[in-house]
Amino acid sequence: MKITINNQKFVLHSCGAAYWEEKKILLISDLHLGKVSHFRKHGMPIPEKAVQENFNRLNNVLELFDAETIIFLGDLFHSKINNEWNFFADWTKTILQRIILIEGNHDIISKKYYTVLNIEIYSELIIDDFLLTHHPTERENLFNFCGHIHPGIKLKGLGKQFLSLSCFFRKTNQMIFPAFGEFTGNYYLTPTENDKVYALAKGEIIEIKN
Amino acid sequence: MNRDELYTIAENWFHDQGWKAFPFQTQTWTAFLQGKNGLLNAPTGSGKTYALWFPIVLDYMKKNPNYKTKHKPGLKAIWITPLRALSVEIKQAAERILNDLDTQMTVGIRSGDTSQSERTKQSKKMPDLLVTTPESLQLLLASKEFAKTFASCSAIVVDEWHELLGTKRGVQMELALSRLKKVAPKMRIWGISATIGNLELAQQVLLGLNSETYQNSVLIKAHINKKIKVLSILPDKMDSYPWRGHMGLHLIDEVAKIVRKSKTTLIFTNVRSACEMWFQAILEKYPEFAGDMAMHHGSISRETRLWVENAIRNEELKVVVCTSSLDLGVDFAPVETIIQVGGPKGVARFLQRAGRSGHQPGKESVIYFLATHAIELIEASALKKAVAKTIVEDRIPYLNSWDVLVQYLNTLAVSDGFFPDEIFEEVRQTFCYQNITKENWNWILNFITNGSQSLRAYDEYKKVEIEEDGRFKINSRLIAMHHRMQIGTIVGDASLNVKFLSGGYIGNIEEWFASKLQPGDVFTFAGKRLELFRVKNMQVLVRKADPKKESRTVSWMGGRMALSVQMSELLREELYAANSDDLTPELKALQPIFARQRKESIVPSDDEFLIETFKTREGYHAVFYLFEGRFVHEALASILSYRISLLFPITFSLAYNDYGFELLSDQEIDMQSVFDNNLFSTEYVHHDLQKSLNLTEMARRKFRDIAVIAGLVFTGMPGRPVKTKHLQSGSQLLFEVFRDYEPDNLLLQQAYSETIEHQLEEGRLIQALERVNKQTIVWKQCKKPTPFSFPIITDRLREKLSSETLAERIKKMTASYMK
Repeated sequence: MKITINNQKFVLHSCGAAYWEEKKILLISDLHLGKVSHFRKHGMPIPEKAVQENFNRLNNVLELFDAETIIFLGDLFHSKINNEWNFFADWTKTILQRIILIEGNHDIISKKYYTVLNIEIYSELIIDDFLLTHHPTERENLFNFCGHIHPGIKLKGLGKQFLSLSCFFRKTNQMIFPAFGEFTGNYYLTPTENDKVYALAKGEIIEIKN
Repeated sequence: MNRDELYTIAENWFHDQGWKAFPFQTQTWTAFLQGKNGLLNAPTGSGKTYALWFPIVLDYMKKNPNYKTKHKPGLKAIWITPLRALSVEIKQAAERILNDLDTQMTVGIRSGDTSQSERTKQSKKMPDLLVTTPESLQLLLASKEFAKTFASCSAIVVDEWHELLGTKRGVQMELALSRLKKVAPKMRIWGISATIGNLELAQQVLLGLNSETYQNSVLIKAHINKKIKVLSILPDKMDSYPWRGHMGLHLIDEVAKIVRKSKTTLIFTNVRSACEMWFQAILEKYPEFAGDMAMHHGSISRETRLWVENAIRNEELKVVVCTSSLDLGVDFAPVETIIQVGGPKGVARFLQRAGRSGHQPGKESVIYFLATHAIELIEASALKKAVAKTIVEDRIPYLNSWDVLVQYLNTLAVSDGFFPDEIFEEVRQTFCYQNITKENWNWILNFITNGSQSLRAYDEYKKVEIEEDGRFKINSRLIAMHHRMQIGTIVGDASLNVKFLSGGYIGNIEEWFASKLQPGDVFTFAGKRLELFRVKNMQVLVRKADPKKESRTVSWMGGRMALSVQMSELLREELYAANSDDLTPELKALQPIFARQRKESIVPSDDEFLIETFKTREGYHAVFYLFEGRFVHEALASILSYRISLLFPITFSLAYNDYGFELLSDQEIDMQSVFDNNLFSTEYVHHDLQKSLNLTEMARRKFRDIAVIAGLVFTGMPGRPVKTKHLQSGSQLLFEVFRDYEPDNLLLQQAYSETIEHQLEEGRLIQALERVNKQTIVWKQCKKPTPFSFPIITDRLREKLSSETLAERIKKMTASYMK
């Protein structure tokens, strides 16, 4: 689904990433890599293949767009260094794009690990009149892209039907990204009149009408 | 000493107590002294403890003629009780014999309540007779050189075997026995069981399928028939009876009358929250009972429960509101009357509860049945017949519980380690693992050493190590400690301790309930009004609440029970009788309800299968009445909705109770096409069950327990439990990963087979469908909900199934404003 914000065009993809056409930037939030291995360390036997799943999804979305830059809106890596970091490092070597990380609360690994991989780190970033942060932030005259809360929406219908979906949650001056990573929970929001909700619905993005 | 001399000792002792030995007792003595194994079928309070303690002591006396002067050390016998609370009474019974006969023998208890110092003392010097629980027995197996401890043991008695049989604790017992047979070759194995439908099978499971032990065994029946009187509590006017209900509080005045008439009354409710509510309601309406009334359920602190139990015994209480926590346990002589609130779902449970009253020999047990809603009165009528015909349920033993096997092997690895070939032979002879293949076994071994088939790349995952001589052993002290803490097969929801700010432990509530409370909120728990101060470190700190503040009652999740096969058959018979002239008092009382039902629909007869459809504000309802119990309905709702969804895109919300199930949709269901396509067919049932979305959800929930039992997720240190949220997400994660990447994982497969066999009861489901196919379908298009449909359509716990695309569904929905 293509949307326009401040005269710039963005393609929202059903995996939770968004592509900024004019700037050729792929925006992704809350990947939470390392979670699987983190669990393993605490005695849960999780097969290796599961670890690869996040990278498969990243590759799939990269193939769709002609991105020159990938910006992660925080919480890229979930925990301390573990096996999965090596997989991530390997993966970065297979791609050509420039990688930028906006620091999130879970990104506790020392910065030098990123530097080695040529990943740039910022606590926030301003591009034109857009403000990129991890935590939702409001600043005058800037439109904020952020993540952190893993937005979701609950829907109800006739016949006691209920649905809950991840979504891009757009307010007047802000759009909160859904979590890209597997095994992440959602925080459910209730939209008000001025909010727009783009739900991730198995392979497509659907705008929810209030 | 010969047998006659030994019998004289025993009979003299009985004579001194003013008793006479029952035939079943002497039969058991003889069989035991002949070296036989066996199963004794005797009810609680019949003297079953003496039936087995005696021959154990006599056997010792026989082997040690100078027993009065010279004591031979070492463990002689183990008594397993499923309930810690019973152990003191069992110990006292044994001590009475030992002291009166001057044997110098000692008795000890080892359970979760035993202090560390006492345990250490026992490890150095075992008592002669040990009373313990299945879990504590496993812990003994996890200690170093356990084989030495058991070598001298000549008997093991598994009390209340019927309680363990249909559970994973039973499997745990099977495994422990398979090992003990080898390390204590002279050990006789005995079980004690109340009456169940499949006693012969119970005997086989206990002793091992076609084992030598089983060949050399007997089944002894006590044949004690207790008189039981069943009475229904009926209101004067049926109009006031709610169509759906839940607590039955509208009959509180009748209950008060019954309580006044008898010395002590136990009021049994099915769930803990009902127990709390009844306690409050009686207190408010009849404050005069205040000093003579108590509450008893599993979440109240142990001290309080013990106090209540003692108070009952000492005739200090007039009425006790309780749950299944008082089903088993010590005898309460003063209890004269039982009131059962709501359907007990099974005949055996009902009889068990009835048996808690009128305990003196020759006395009659009296039980009142209080139906919480109108239709439940049919159950009352059915129960009366069941009692008259002494129909009881079977207990179905588990098969292939891989989770328990994983735990058991880890237990052996924690102790002295084990050699796989030796253990495989033992495990194969148990009932539970009679079909285990070499492939299964190798998979399990690989799992405990490498974590999983696909996990070899990781090095941090190593629980069990293989030593040079081929011994499988856990060497890490941390892993060993974690494992010991997690031995057991009962997985509860994580609970938080409730404590007063000033100190003093009240009991525990579940995490999800605690998470709904804000500081300052008032809730009623254990009969007290408490104000939440804060939740910290998995502890709920409270203080006494202002009595004027509004309060809510604590509730617990707990599984819902379903009607047993026997109960549902009896229920149908009763219901069909409603169309005859031969009406029981309950059916007579229900006449006004039946009249309402017939106005819109029918009361089905035995050759009719009733389907009702109607429209309400909520959408289009279709209600199917099979009267087969909740679980079968859950499965059938799932299959039928799946089959309909193949005909056209549609979304359903499913609800079910013990009488039938409902498919609710936002569009009208084309019922004619359901009939035309023969959707009640018994063909492809297994396939359709697999396909229907529901199964995955149910298996996912089952998997949580399996993951905990198999030790895949850690439940935390004592006093510092891991939050269920984390536990849940941990096991959920594992479930998904196994499903996606390792579908042949045995534990994953177990989650599915347990769901299909134990929860959805596939066998019963097919029988139900066969029955339906012989009946005439009666489809009633009603204008509004009928009395029969009411309890079903108002059920809030629902599943869903859809063949519409997400986009189609979203289009019809609106953003929900609920949190």
